[in-house]
Amino acid sequence: MNSDPQNEVSPQTLERVYQPVTRRTFLKGTAAAVAGLAGLGAALSPLLALERGELTLEALLQKRYRELKPEELRRILKALEDQCEREYGVRPAVHDRKARAGVEFGYALNLTRCIGCRKCAYGCLKENNQSRDAADDLEMSYIRVLELDKGGMNLETSTLYYDPPTVPQEGKFYMPVQCQQCRQPPCTKVCPVRATWQEETDGIVVVDYNWCIGCRYCMAACPYDARRFNYKKPALPPAEINPNQDYLSNRLRYKGVVEKCTFCLQRSRAGKYPACLEVCPTGARIFGDLRDPKSEIRYVLDHKRVYILKEEVGTLPRFYYFFDK
Amino acid sequence: MDLRIRKVVRAAAAVVLGASATVVWLACDAGEAAPALAAVPANLPVVARPPAHQPPTGLASDAHLDKTPPRQTVGLDLVRNGWTYNCMECHKLLPARWHYDRPLSEHQDIQLDHGNNRFCLNCHHATNRNAFVDYDGREIAEADVVLLCAKCHGTIHRDWQASVHGRVNGFWDSRLGVKTRLRCIQCHDPHSPRFRAMKPLPPMKYPPRGAYPPAKGSPQQDAKLAPAGQEAGARQAGNAS
Repeated sequence: MNSDPQNEVSPQTLERVYQPVTRRTFLKGTAAAVAGLAGLGAALSPLLALERGELTLEALLQKRYRELKPEELRRILKALEDQCEREYGVRPAVHDRKARAGVEFGYALNLTRCIGCRKCAYGCLKENNQSRDAADDLEMSYIRVLELDKGGMNLETSTLYYDPPTVPQEGKFYMPVQCQQCRQPPCTKVCPVRATWQEETDGIVVVDYNWCIGCRYCMAACPYDARRFNYKKPALPPAEINPNQDYLSNRLRYKGVVEKCTFCLQRSRAGKYPACLEVCPTGARIFGDLRDPKSEIRYVLDHKRVYILKEEVGTLPRFYYFFDK
Repeated sequence: MDLRIRKVVRAAAAVVLGASATVVWLACDAGEAAPALAAVPANLPVVARPPAHQPPTGLASDAHLDKTPPRQTVGLDLVRNGWTYNCMECHKLLPARWHYDRPLSEHQDIQLDHGNNRFCLNCHHATNRNAFVDYDGREIAEADVVLLCAKCHGTIHRDWQASVHGRVNGFWDSRLGVKTRLRCIQCHDPHSPRFRAMKPLPPMKYPPRGAYPPAKGSPQQDAKLAPAGQEAGARQAGNAS
């Protein structure tokens, strides 16, 4: 029988293929396995929250908000209420108010009337259950009030930290900035998991806090600095919890999720004015239904010369500024 | 001694003269005003609610929101002392004159700083002080004070009617609830209508980016800010040119 040189296997090759387990390879393999298991454990450690009761299996396996069946959503809302009661001792009412057909929200702000008192920023905190360490901790408020010099609109030289004895100061004007509820929102386009979207009818841009992965792409994309990130577990005094909550707006948030102004949809979808408008002492804020020709916002659009912030970025906001005098 | 006695006598004479003059004036006034008073009904016009009372703004369910009315009115001493807020209780004896000085102490605290208005009767009605005066001398009821302001501030009145000027509270959707609108004098003091400056609520504590602003009271605070602003301004000007 002729030996086929093609099938001939040399002893060196055999040794290379069938490596005997030496001490060295055994230790290497063990170390790799231990490291791998440790990594797996670390990756799965959030699941320990299941055991501690901080997370329910249902919340973990929850579907996207828009795919939830009504009874699933009802169970989730109840679980959220339970969780709030367990953690804070306050039983909220977590609703899921849907956008009404034929209603599109718009906001206008009269810069002649705004005096920069920051009541809107604090009213926002009180309404929307943002995390705060003290009553005057404005970090997570959705509204930033800018102080600008008269004679220009340069936002780069505006200041956020003005604190004079009285406002308005001579030669200054004030511009509160919050989510502009853009018709072309850049923040929703960059979300890798579609945890934030624009509601189809009333145009509010919302976040599903159970779906957000906290990558903060949306914060980078927003030209108005309108989004806030929960770097830590939200701290909120139980006495200051607003029990009127909504799944998409002011229910209690988690660590590592992004939140934003929703025109207080827990209020506005129930027909009420947003909290920032309620507390404005000068009546500088105007809110209404853009589709209703007799609404206040339409009066402003028809009778005043309005402008939008950063028009050149093409976001088409539903938030308008105007001067009255 | 003589000097003191003389002083006392002088003072007594002044008092007697003044009292008799007052009596004569009142008598004359009563005599003159008799026909006018006959026209006024025996019961004085009733004012339901003193304007000093601020109605609550906003919804009761919004107790967590700070809805402090912008104008804190205290009301007249008379009202505080339990009188009805009925101007004619006094003013039927004190006829109207086109004067600016307020001889009695009741209205001394009023600082009139309202554009060209120099006289009480620019707005208040001459014969019924519970009402305001229209262009043609007719009365505007106290409850319709908005119409008085609209005499001069027509464009603002138009905005107010559209709920675009002034504070609104409650429901934007009239099908679901009531929208409350404040009247002019609930925010503006009619005698000095400029909106009062307010103490701003404290700013944000932890700046999210960088170490701006510098610590309070540090000498560089202003020095740092001013050149930055100028620099930016100069840059902008340079870019523009």
